[in-house]
Amino acid sequence: MSGVTLYVALVAFGVVAGVASGLLGVGGGTLMVPFLTLAAGLSQHAAQATSLLVILPTALAGTLTLRRRGVGDAGLALRFGVVGAVGAVGGALLALALPASTLRIVFAVFVCIVGLKLIYDGSRAKEQPA
Amino acid sequence: MRTLEASSGSARGRAGLLRIDRELIAIGILGGLLSGLLGVGGGIVMVPLLVLWARYGQREAHAASLGAIIPISIAGIATYGIAGEVRIGPAVALVAGSVVGARIGAGWLARIDERLLKVVFGVFLVGVAVLLFLHR
Repeated sequence: MSGVTLYVALVAFGVVAGVASGLLGVGGGTLMVPFLTLAAGLSQHAAQATSLLVILPTALAGTLTLRRRGVGDAGLALRFGVVGAVGAVGGALLALALPASTLRIVFAVFVCIVGLKLIYDGSRAKEQPA
Repeated sequence: MRTLEASSGSARGRAGLLRIDRELIAIGILGGLLSGLLGVGGGIVMVPLLVLWARYGQREAHAASLGAIIPISIAGIATYGIAGEVRIGPAVALVAGSVVGARIGAGWLARIDERLLKVVFGVFLVGVAVLLFLHR
């Protein structure tokens, strides 16, 4: 993809990633990084850096909406995130220093197991009449 | 700056001004590490750990994760930005869509049934796992 088509696709894809981010409390980077490398032709490192830049305003917009709706404790979440920021610097430096393909597989296995467990738990709890 | 002092001041139990539990510190660092390493938010590890380990309710876990992503992504951007990897054009286009999407998604999170939320998140995680296997 190139030019205007690419940018239209990016905006549309941004909406999808944003909905996933707001609903699921994730950044949406797992969707954006592959899209940026495959559709926009960015390198893995550039895609990851760009994805992080998108995640910031996205998480901010979602958190502001949740705060208005009275869901969760934004103050606690931010303090929690400050601790995480230390890890993020470490992770980013590590990523810039080495290819992360092995870690990606470990990560994929972890995510897959958790996902299946959640589907199992969620669907089993649904037995009760709604 | 005060928060930095607090985090180094006491590592056990509730940490000074940060006033958060040990589980949250561990989960935050893990989420941050993954975020920086893969360029993602880190919510994919933080949400399950908040629910299964820190005993958060499903909805609260998603909300806490989203808030935590704010400082985490700032740290990641600063680190990658210094390395000159950020592409502004595609980022602006994605943000134009994602900020709108995030408000819609967060509105759903505020009122979705928690069991349905579990299933939707589970499906999302399995999908991500498949994507990770394919996109190596």
